[in-house]
Amino acid sequence: MNDLNIPKLYTIKSTPKETLEKWYRLMTIGRAIDEKAPNYLKQAIGWSYHAPYAGHDGIQLAIGQNFEKNKDHIFPYYRDMLTALSCGMTAEEIILNGISKATDPSSGGRHMSNHLAKTEWNIHSVSSATGNHTLHAVGTARAIKYYGEKAVSISSQGESSVSEGYVYEAITGADKEELPVIFVVQDNGYGISVPKKDQTAQRKVANNFAGFKNTRIIHCNGKDVFDSMNAMAEAKRFAIEESKPVILQANCVRMGAHSNSDDHLLYRSGSERNYVVEYDPLGKFRRLLIRYNRFTEEELQAIEAETKLVIKAAHKAALAAPDPDPESIYNFVFAEPVVSEKYPEGLHNAEGEKKKLITALNETLKAEFRHNPDTFIWGQDMANKDKGGIFNVSKGMQKEFGNKRVFNGPIAEDFIMGTANGMSRYNDKIRVVIEGAEFADYFWPAMEQYVDSSHDYWRSNGKFVPNITIRLASGGYIGGGMYHSQNIEGSLVAIPGVRIVYPSFADDAAGLIRTSMRSRGLTLFLEPKALYQDPKAATVVPDDFEVPFGKARIRREGSDLTILTYGNTTHLCIEAANKLAAEGIANIEVIDLRSLIPLDEETILESIKKTNRVLIVHEDKVFGGFGGELSALINEKGFEHLDAPIKRVGSPFVPIGFNRILERAILPNTERIYTAAKELIEY
Amino acid sequence: MSKTAIIYSFHTQKSKKVAEKVIEAFGKDEIEVVNAEELNKEVIEKYDNFILSAPTWFDGELPNYWDEFIPDLEEMDLSKKTFAIFGLGDQKGYPENFCDAIGLLASILEGCGAKIVGSTSVEGYTFDSSKAQRGNVFIGLPIDQENQARLTKDRVSKWVERLKGEFFN
Repeated sequence: MNDLNIPKLYTIKSTPKETLEKWYRLMTIGRAIDEKAPNYLKQAIGWSYHAPYAGHDGIQLAIGQNFEKNKDHIFPYYRDMLTALSCGMTAEEIILNGISKATDPSSGGRHMSNHLAKTEWNIHSVSSATGNHTLHAVGTARAIKYYGEKAVSISSQGESSVSEGYVYEAITGADKEELPVIFVVQDNGYGISVPKKDQTAQRKVANNFAGFKNTRIIHCNGKDVFDSMNAMAEAKRFAIEESKPVILQANCVRMGAHSNSDDHLLYRSGSERNYVVEYDPLGKFRRLLIRYNRFTEEELQAIEAETKLVIKAAHKAALAAPDPDPESIYNFVFAEPVVSEKYPEGLHNAEGEKKKLITALNETLKAEFRHNPDTFIWGQDMANKDKGGIFNVSKGMQKEFGNKRVFNGPIAEDFIMGTANGMSRYNDKIRVVIEGAEFADYFWPAMEQYVDSSHDYWRSNGKFVPNITIRLASGGYIGGGMYHSQNIEGSLVAIPGVRIVYPSFADDAAGLIRTSMRSRGLTLFLEPKALYQDPKAATVVPDDFEVPFGKARIRREGSDLTILTYGNTTHLCIEAANKLAAEGIANIEVIDLRSLIPLDEETILESIKKTNRVLIVHEDKVFGGFGGELSALINEKGFEHLDAPIKRVGSPFVPIGFNRILERAILPNTERIYTAAKELIEY
Repeated sequence: MSKTAIIYSFHTQKSKKVAEKVIEAFGKDEIEVVNAEELNKEVIEKYDNFILSAPTWFDGELPNYWDEFIPDLEEMDLSKKTFAIFGLGDQKGYPENFCDAIGLLASILEGCGAKIVGSTSVEGYTFDSSKAQRGNVFIGLPIDQENQARLTKDRVSKWVERLKGEFFN
């Protein structure tokens, strides 16, 4: 009864009886599973996480009833069990998820219980990080709008999630882009034990967004089936017809504790616990059905009896389902890349005019945009007249491909990353390239979405992978100091699920960006910005060049020492090797890894067998840097070939200074590499 | 003489106490008492004047006993009936929807042609917004037992004195 401006499409008196019966069946099945779930834990069968939805029944029924599968997109949160049922999932599928079976359609037992998904219907798999999926819903809505579909993207979440910064980013962006997305805020007054007053000054958290120009705010009683149905129907109509976002705040009660690991007796009075149960939405719906003579007591009891049979059969089938195979843990970590028939090793012998690294990237990006019409690129400073990215790598792209495919993102890195994930969910043909941040070391605010995106393929049991290339201008030697000259790959290699490449030469940059943009999956593409315009990184670049992932390139052949390197330091290593050769001291092999994940172990170990000595050089810190992993790998798989200890050259364990004197004292240089190599040769 | 009923939920505690104060001020013999939990159309048809108790629940909702009666209520012709509404609210804890239930119920009754009496001044209350507010007055009597319980007796007696005149004149 909250919003008197909402058309009353559904009332107890006017709604057809068969519709009311369908709703009552869904609600009784949902409630039966909601109440049964803790028993699975007590019997040690599973379902160790259960967040009961009782008290949210009205709005959850309404979300699902207003969702059109294969057309709309929905991102349910961990309390959305009735939402999932109302969207069309079955009791058996809910229980399969609860007890983490191999046939669980949500994740095959990989993701936490109560995280329901059916990707093939556009019921998307979401993170446990509350409200994280708001950005995905916005990205999907961007695709809905771009492709001109009359559909809506729905993000469902609790009211406490609105405290998260990325939720603000999502709503801000949806408002700015005028996207057909509904943020359903299921408000039960608590974030676990934290009351609403500790989250926000305004109890009606949706009203915090009242100043947003294009966003409509609707309040409804989430405990009331009809009020929720009317509010949700109006939200969907508005979002689609007006192509604008809606925040729908549904007031609910949490009849139980937050989850089975929470004891609400510790912080809720007996009186409160009693009155929230009195306001049970299912109880209210049942009373209305009887009071207004829509059903007799006997008819409802017959439905309830049938519900018991449905639950019994679902329980039996789910218990008999197979468990996940422990051998399957390596499936779906990385999506399958394209295979290059012409350049299987990522090598070429082309001759002609050399191109700078920045030119190679610019031309390849454009070529790929011509090749695939479902490509998009955005980021900060991406497109304004002659500006195309902070370093102008994407110069001219908006002019050629238009502002729907090439556009500026707000200064919100998590939004840039999260909406890429969301847009990618629309269909598997889409390839998104983002400039993840102005400089690589500004990328940290996007880490929440980066980490979550790294899980997607594995978590969805292979049903969804974000097809995104994250471009970042990385590294130093430009006098940029902190946030402009640092490297981040040492931290990011620790996160499975993302390929990481870091070319040093123009041809490899072109070949790797092409492979990234044609492959499924997530690739972090690090660009050594000091080399964009540097003649020493310029090469001949075949127009169709491709570099497969996990293929290193021997940039200088040698026999006395192997140097493993990538990015800016490749050139320093070649200089040091040439100097040692010129001095007659040693003939050094320099391997440009090009790809950190996956790693070309074969080329590394073959080289060490030949040289028996290895020096690892990178710009990032030695402590905690990728060199530590390389060193451990060689120790494990190549120790018997070594005649000297493994040595590493990189930055000390300090931030990067702005003054050139400080920068020089920190970053590796040719002299330090020369000295280290000489020491190893003489060992 | 026209008949007057007070309708409140017998199941409540705080609202019940205030209702008893209203009954006392009105005169026990002048008013009939009806349990809101047992409402139906016949009850409404039976009387001419009503004092309704509509406490505000959650973030601005009617209690279930009113909400569940509305599908019937909103179909009634109430053009010959007069209603006065009081309701409990919490202006500090819920300043954004202080005594919304009074306003919600009043709007529905007005939609049925009913006459609403018993408006009171907003002076003396501190809140952000209220669906019960119409200009400088509330359309009924807000009672705040959480923060202004000591004012209740006086507020009720003054309100009831005015109601007697508005009901019967």
